[in-house]
Amino acid sequence: MERREILRLISLSAIAPVIPTLASADVCASAHAAISKEPYRLRFFTPEESKALDEAMEIIIPADGHSPGAHAAKVNLFADWMVDNSGSDVQKRWRSGLLQLREQAMKSSIGDVLAKAAANEEHPASELDGFFVMLKQMAVDGYYTSEIGIHQDMQYQGNDYLLSFPGCTHPEHQGKP
Amino acid sequence: MVNMRETKPTYDVCVIGSGAAGGVMSRQLCEAGAKVILLEAGQEVKPTQFRSHCWPYELPFRGLRGEKQELFYPPDLHNSIRYENSDSVGVDRIRVLGGRTLHWNAVVLRYAPVDFRQHSVNGVEDDWPISYEELAPYYERIEQMIGVCGQDDHLEILPAGKHYLPTIPFRCSEQILKRTCEPMGIPVIPVRKAVLTKPYDRGPKCHYCGHCMDGCDVSAVFSTPGSMLPKARATGNLTLRQNAVAREILVNGEGVPRAVSIVDRLSNREEEIQARIFVVCCATVETARLLLNSRSRHHPNGLANSSGAVGRYLHGHLGGSADLYLKELEGRPPSNQDGATDHVYIPRWRTSDPDGVYGFQVNFSSYMFPHQAKRLSGYGSDFKTAVRRLQPGYLMLGGFGKVIAKPENRVTVDPDRKDEHGIPIPVVHFRFDERDLATYKSMHASVGEISDRLKCTAFLNFGDKPGGFASHEVGTARMGKDPHTSVLNRFNQTHDVKNLFITDGSSFTTSSEKNPTLTIMALSLRASEHIRDLRNKGEI
Repeated sequence: MERREILRLISLSAIAPVIPTLASADVCASAHAAISKEPYRLRFFTPEESKALDEAMEIIIPADGHSPGAHAAKVNLFADWMVDNSGSDVQKRWRSGLLQLREQAMKSSIGDVLAKAAANEEHPASELDGFFVMLKQMAVDGYYTSEIGIHQDMQYQGNDYLLSFPGCTHPEHQGKP
Repeated sequence: MVNMRETKPTYDVCVIGSGAAGGVMSRQLCEAGAKVILLEAGQEVKPTQFRSHCWPYELPFRGLRGEKQELFYPPDLHNSIRYENSDSVGVDRIRVLGGRTLHWNAVVLRYAPVDFRQHSVNGVEDDWPISYEELAPYYERIEQMIGVCGQDDHLEILPAGKHYLPTIPFRCSEQILKRTCEPMGIPVIPVRKAVLTKPYDRGPKCHYCGHCMDGCDVSAVFSTPGSMLPKARATGNLTLRQNAVAREILVNGEGVPRAVSIVDRLSNREEEIQARIFVVCCATVETARLLLNSRSRHHPNGLANSSGAVGRYLHGHLGGSADLYLKELEGRPPSNQDGATDHVYIPRWRTSDPDGVYGFQVNFSSYMFPHQAKRLSGYGSDFKTAVRRLQPGYLMLGGFGKVIAKPENRVTVDPDRKDEHGIPIPVVHFRFDERDLATYKSMHASVGEISDRLKCTAFLNFGDKPGGFASHEVGTARMGKDPHTSVLNRFNQTHDVKNLFITDGSSFTTSSEKNPTLTIMALSLRASEHIRDLRNKGEI
């Protein structure tokens, strides 16, 4: 919630809803402050693992002409945080999967290994295939909940305080098909 | 070590649970002049503490681990329930002042006349001991009390009231849905929600942020703390006791309830709250748990359980959903689609088909997260572009289907396993039967037919078996005419003891495909007036 938006609301609406709105912005800001202390210190992955993760996730969700990718959104650090706060079974799968990915990549490249695993995405046949699915889900979760993913890539317009909801005004959507 | 002490005074009424049922009950009885103590196991979370508007990246786990609602589900709830020989069902045991009215989508639908007469119409289950016509005036009053947007669509399966707030405008995807479904004989109507679409009863109107289910920070979505408790407090008759976990209801030497034994969550001290009348509104599972834990010489199987029906007939909605992406809207520029989550509703349309007992809520899933990113195959720039391209066409259908009430589906308590307050935990035993699965199969087929006609990319979320209960569990202390097979009479008063009432979802004889909360509130209002009348006559 931007302060200018709150001020806009104050100027346009009754004061009553604004008070909790201001407080709500404070709640979010303080929650954010608690988790955004820099620099982030790796908790679970080694620097080498995290580097491989970063490279793999950037291949899955790359920077392109439209928006930055997983690397800029620091999705590998999000993954470190999530895995560190997961059970030991999950942690083992990540460690083992990354080990396989890095070993296979030594013979070719991370990109080649991901391409092979992605071919079996619908029906994973090996542990590495399964790891690709897990890796992609994490990349998706991390990227599309990041500032870059939400605002720059998806250009999400909501989470706002509107005075009215216009609904659909397109005649072509309301007529017969 | 638990310290025991008695508290004075003796209240006229003790209401246990502050959700939809307890909120209505407390307000009405306070306004009728009764001295009421309202017990809530949780505590107040003020709207200023709600995290509804926080961005995912402001939350520790990006909101993926329930951080937005974590204040509503304190740690003492964790691991204090067990599922035994059950299908994939879950029950909601929120613990906060206001209960599930802080964490709901606010869809409020009247049951139809046929929903109260399942045995007469279909020859299965039982009829309610009351009819739609008896409850209709209470539906009307509750709708006016809380403020409901919607309209009368003149559908027999979905009766309407006379007073509604303006409907919420349809999104583009919903106009296309309506345009497509109507030739199929499927109505798509404005949703009825307890959301203020204009200022009402001193409440501000909705600001269309799409966070109805995370707690409404301006109370434009109905909640007990935002709407009912201020009215109850204004009478000077309400005593609110938070952090009070009910252990059992204690009876006197004649087996008549005289007090509630509570554990204070903060101090772990045990107390007795004495009252002349008790109204249990703890929600379906916790209500059954409380009664079953209230064993005594007079009530060896639990309070109000001479029939053995307490805990039985547990049921709720079965569900399946679909994420659809309309070709017609693909690639359009991003726009704010949040709104008030649901704007439209598909009521049951196959009204003579026994398997057609389902309706669809629409678009109650977040627009912020692109759900298709979890379903599209591939990776790289093409994947990223496809995710972005599909998003403007998002249309989510959430099916809610009726489940048959059966005595073998039940809640019991485990005397050997206790929560951190030393109270035996509930155990859920639930299986869908072939009739439920037929409804689910039919729902799945309907979603397929609709999505085929819509021209869309479709991801259907239907496995071999449905999930349950969409937080709509009911039936564990059901109403009925026969004291041998039911717990409550037609006024939500227990057959066994006169000064005990239950008005939450546990009181339902049967359920329908419709969301239960409006019926819970109407029953609570009706029961409150019965209590008032009995008090005035000196009968309890």
